[in-house]
Amino acid sequence: MAGSEEQRSLLGDEDEPLPGGKTSRGPGRPLPAICDPNHLLHRVVVLLFMCFLGFGSYFCYDNPAALQTQVLQDLNLNTASFMQLYAWYSWPNVILCFFGGFMIDRVFGIRLGTIIFSLFVCVGQVIFAAGAWTNHFWLMELGRFVFGIGGESLAVAQNTYAVNWFKGKELNLVFGLQLSMARLGSTVNMNIMGWVYNKIAALVGGPGYTALGISLMIASATCLFSLICALVLAFFDKRAEKILHKEQGKTGEVIQLRDVKDFPFPLWLIFIICVGYYVAVFPFIGLGQVFFIEKFNFSPAEARAVNSIVYIISAPASPVLGFMVDKTGRNVVWVIIAVISTLASHMILAFTFWNPWIAMSLLGVSYSLLACALWPMVAFVVPEHQLGTAYGFMQSIQNLGLALIAMAAGAILDSRGYLVLEVFFCACICIALMAVVMLYFVDYLRGGDLNRSASARAKLQKEGTADAEIKRRRSKLTEGDLARLAPMSAFGLRNRYLSRLGAQLPDHCSTHLSSLAHRSVLK
Amino acid sequence: VVPEFRGSNWKGSVTSRSHSDIGDIQKISTRGSQATCSSCQSLFRGATTFERQLSVELNPGSTSVPPGGDLLHIRAVENNDTLHFLFCSQGAPALLLVHTNSSSSTVQVNWPLFSARNTSGSLKVVPESSVLYSTAVVFSRLLEYDDTNNTADPTSDFFPPYELQNFTWSRLNLSGPTALLCGTDATFTNGSLCLKLSVFDSEGRGLSPPHLLHTSNSSQMEVWLDGLLPRANRSRFLLELQAVGGAYPLSRVDTRRSIDDEFTPSIFKVSQWVSAPNGSSDVLGFVQWKPVAYRQTNPSLENATPCRHSDPRPQNGEVMAASSSLIRAFYPEPEPFGLNMSFGLSGDPFYNNTKYLSWTVLVGIGSPPVDSFSPLVIAIMAVGLGTPMILLLLGGLWVCVRKRAACSASSYQPIN
Repeated sequence: MAGSEEQRSLLGDEDEPLPGGKTSRGPGRPLPAICDPNHLLHRVVVLLFMCFLGFGSYFCYDNPAALQTQVLQDLNLNTASFMQLYAWYSWPNVILCFFGGFMIDRVFGIRLGTIIFSLFVCVGQVIFAAGAWTNHFWLMELGRFVFGIGGESLAVAQNTYAVNWFKGKELNLVFGLQLSMARLGSTVNMNIMGWVYNKIAALVGGPGYTALGISLMIASATCLFSLICALVLAFFDKRAEKILHKEQGKTGEVIQLRDVKDFPFPLWLIFIICVGYYVAVFPFIGLGQVFFIEKFNFSPAEARAVNSIVYIISAPASPVLGFMVDKTGRNVVWVIIAVISTLASHMILAFTFWNPWIAMSLLGVSYSLLACALWPMVAFVVPEHQLGTAYGFMQSIQNLGLALIAMAAGAILDSRGYLVLEVFFCACICIALMAVVMLYFVDYLRGGDLNRSASARAKLQKEGTADAEIKRRRSKLTEGDLARLAPMSAFGLRNRYLSRLGAQLPDHCSTHLSSLAHRSVLK
Repeated sequence: VVPEFRGSNWKGSVTSRSHSDIGDIQKISTRGSQATCSSCQSLFRGATTFERQLSVELNPGSTSVPPGGDLLHIRAVENNDTLHFLFCSQGAPALLLVHTNSSSSTVQVNWPLFSARNTSGSLKVVPESSVLYSTAVVFSRLLEYDDTNNTADPTSDFFPPYELQNFTWSRLNLSGPTALLCGTDATFTNGSLCLKLSVFDSEGRGLSPPHLLHTSNSSQMEVWLDGLLPRANRSRFLLELQAVGGAYPLSRVDTRRSIDDEFTPSIFKVSQWVSAPNGSSDVLGFVQWKPVAYRQTNPSLENATPCRHSDPRPQNGEVMAASSSLIRAFYPEPEPFGLNMSFGLSGDPFYNNTKYLSWTVLVGIGSPPVDSFSPLVIAIMAVGLGTPMILLLLGGLWVCVRKRAACSASSYQPIN
C-alpha cells in the first residue's frame, strides 16, 4: 500500500546521508545536472521555488499587524473593525480545512491547484490593497476573505509538492526549510512594512489611505512572486513527470465528517486546548504593536520587532524542542508546561512593566513547545483512518475560534482597554489549562499513551513490531479491503502539522510517526 | 519623576450615576437660588469614601446679575469639614477650592469690590481660621501654532495667543452640581471654547472617556474646543493653565505609570500636578489628568489623541491676579505656577481634521485618587487561575483514592 511504503521510506530516510543526491539513476541521459530531475542540483533549484511559493502568503498574512497604527489612523477605524481583517481571513478556512486537500487531489490536481490557490492569494491581496487605496473598508474585508481562501490551502499544496519531490530523500530538511521560510516571511513583513509605508508616505506627500494602499500593493508583489513560483513549479513538475513517468503528488487526505461522532473524549479535550491556546496568541500578535507602543513607550519599529520575536524564535526552537519532546515523550506534561509558561508571559505583559522582550521570548518558546507536543498527540488518540478528519476538524474549529475571538478582542480593546484584553487572553489560556489538566487525569485513568515516556513507548513498539510484521504480511493479501480504509499517510500528517501553526515535526520524527502508524496494532 | 505604581491603595471602582448626563443641561438655578443634590448611595465602605452634601449657589450674596460674569459656589459639607468649590467667569475662567475644618463655614463676597477686580479680600471664606488649604486653577490662554513639519514640537510659528480673560463668556448654565460655561474670542468667526465643571457628592467615575476616577474631594473640569476655525491648515493647540496652591505652590508634575487602562483604553499613564511640601509625599492639592484628549464629540479610542505637558514654571502673580476676579479677590499675593498642555503628537491628525478637541482634568484637595483593578478583572483572574488549581487538587485526590483502592483490593493475594 502506498501509505506504508511512504512510511517505510521515511523511516529509511534516517539512515541515509542527507545529501542523498548520489542516486544517479538512468545512466546515459544527456541532461546536464541542473536540468536532470533526478539530480540533487535540480532539486535544489526546485526547492528554491518551493520555499518562495509560500513566502507571499506568509508575508501578507500579518500585513495588518505590521501596519496597525497606520491602518487604524488612515482609514479611521476602531480596533473592532481592524480585527475583522483577521476574522475574514479565518472564515473561509473553517470550511476549507476539510476540502482543501480533497480539491487538490480530486478536482484540480497539485499543479493546477497550487496555481489556483496562489491566484487567490494574489488577487485577494490586490483587492485588499485596492480597498485601502480607495478607502473602502468592505473591499479590504473582501480581499482578506479571498486571501484566506488561498492562504491555508496553499500551505497544504506546498507540502504536497515537497513530499512529491523529496520523499525518501531530504524531506525533513525541506520541511524545516519551508517552515523557516514561512517564519522569515512573517518576520520580514513585521520589520519592513513600516519602513515601506514611511517611504511611500514621503513620496506621495503625507500619510493617508493612498500611501497605505500603495504600500499594500507593493506587498502584493510578494504574492505575485509566489504565483510565478507556482507557475515555474508546475512547469518543472510536468517536465519531471514526463521524464520520470511518475505520478502527480497527492495530499492523501481522507476526510469523513461522520467520523466526528466517534471521536474519543481526549480528542475533544485536545481541541479545547488547541482553540483556547491559539486564540490567545494570534489575535494578540495582531494587536501587539500598539500595545507595546502605548504601554512600554516603544518606537513603532521596536514594537514591530518585539512583535515578530515570536516568529523568529519559533524557527530555530521548533526542531530543538521537537527533538526534546520526541526523546522524552510525556507529551501532556510538555503541553502543561507550554500552557503555563504562556499564561505566565501573558500575565507578565498584563500586570508588570517588565521589558516585553522577556515575555515575548517566553511566549515564542512556549508557542513552539506547544506545537511540538500538542499536534502529535492527536495521532495517539484516534485510529489512523480518522487522522485526516481529526486534523481537519481541529484546524476548522481553530479557525472558527480565531475568527470569533479576533472580533471579540477588537471590541474588548475598544471598550475596556489592554488590561482587560490581556486578562481575557489569560482566561482563554486558563480554559486550555483546565482542558490539559483534565486530559492528564483522563489519560492517566484510561492508561493511555499520551503521557508515556519515550522509552516506554519504544518498548511497547518493540513488542508490537513482531505482530505488525505478521499483520503487514497478511495485509498484502487483503490489499483491496484495506484500500478502502486509506489510512492517513505520514506525509498527509505532515501537511497538517505544517500549517500556519508552525507545528514542525523534527527530523527524527519519522521513527515516531512509524510507531504511530503501527499504533492500531499496538493496542 | 516616575514613582512606583501603587496597586492597592484604593478600595474599588464604580461608575457614579448620581448626575444627569451632559446632554440635558437645564437651567434649574437662577440668581441666589439653591439646589441641593441628594447624596447618592455609595457602594463602598471604608475610610477613603466620603459622602458630601452638596449645595449649589449662583452669585452668593448678590442682589442682581453681576455684569462681568457669574460666580458659582458649591458647598460640599461632610460631618466636620466643608469644601467650597468656587467657579468664576469674570475674566479668565478660574476654579477655587477651599477646604475648611468646620461644617458651617461660608463664603462672603463684597460684590462691588469683587467685580472691580482690583482689591484683594473681597471674597472670604469665614471663619477665616477654619481654612485648612486652598488651591486655584486658572485657564489662562489658548495657544495655536502652525505645525508645518508635523513634529508637534511647539517652539515656534505661534500665532498670537487667545487670552481667555478677553473672551465673551456665556452665563453659567447649571444642572445640579454641574456648570457649563462657553466663550468666544472677538476674533472667532465661529466655534467656541467650553468648560464644564462637575462636583461630586461621592466616589465614582466619569460617564464618558477618559472615565477619570473622582472622589467627593475633587471636581472635574472638561474643556473642549468646538468648531473653531484654525488659522492654518496644520494648526495644533495648547492650553495654558496656571495654578496657585497656598503655602505650597503646585510646583511639580508626577507622571505615574499604571498597568490599568480599563477605563481609558490604551492610556497607561496618569499625570498629577501637585502641591506638596518639598520632598514630601503628602499631597495637599492636585490637578490630575490622563494624557489623552479626544477629537470627536463621542470620545472613544479611535479618536483619542495623546497630549503632553510642559514643566511647571513660576508665573507672575500680579498678572494672574489681574486676569481673574476670583484670584484677585481671594489671594492677596498669589504665587502661581503655569504649564502648557499640548494636544497631539507628531503624526497625529491636526485640529482641522475634526475641528474638535476635548480634554478632562480633575482638581481636588488631598491625595489624588489612585486607580486599582476593577472587580471584573479580579473576578476573571480568580476564576481563571482558581479553577485549574481546584481541578488539579480534585483530580490528584481522586487518583490517590483510586490507587489506594486498587492497592487494598489487590492486597489479598491468593494463598497458593
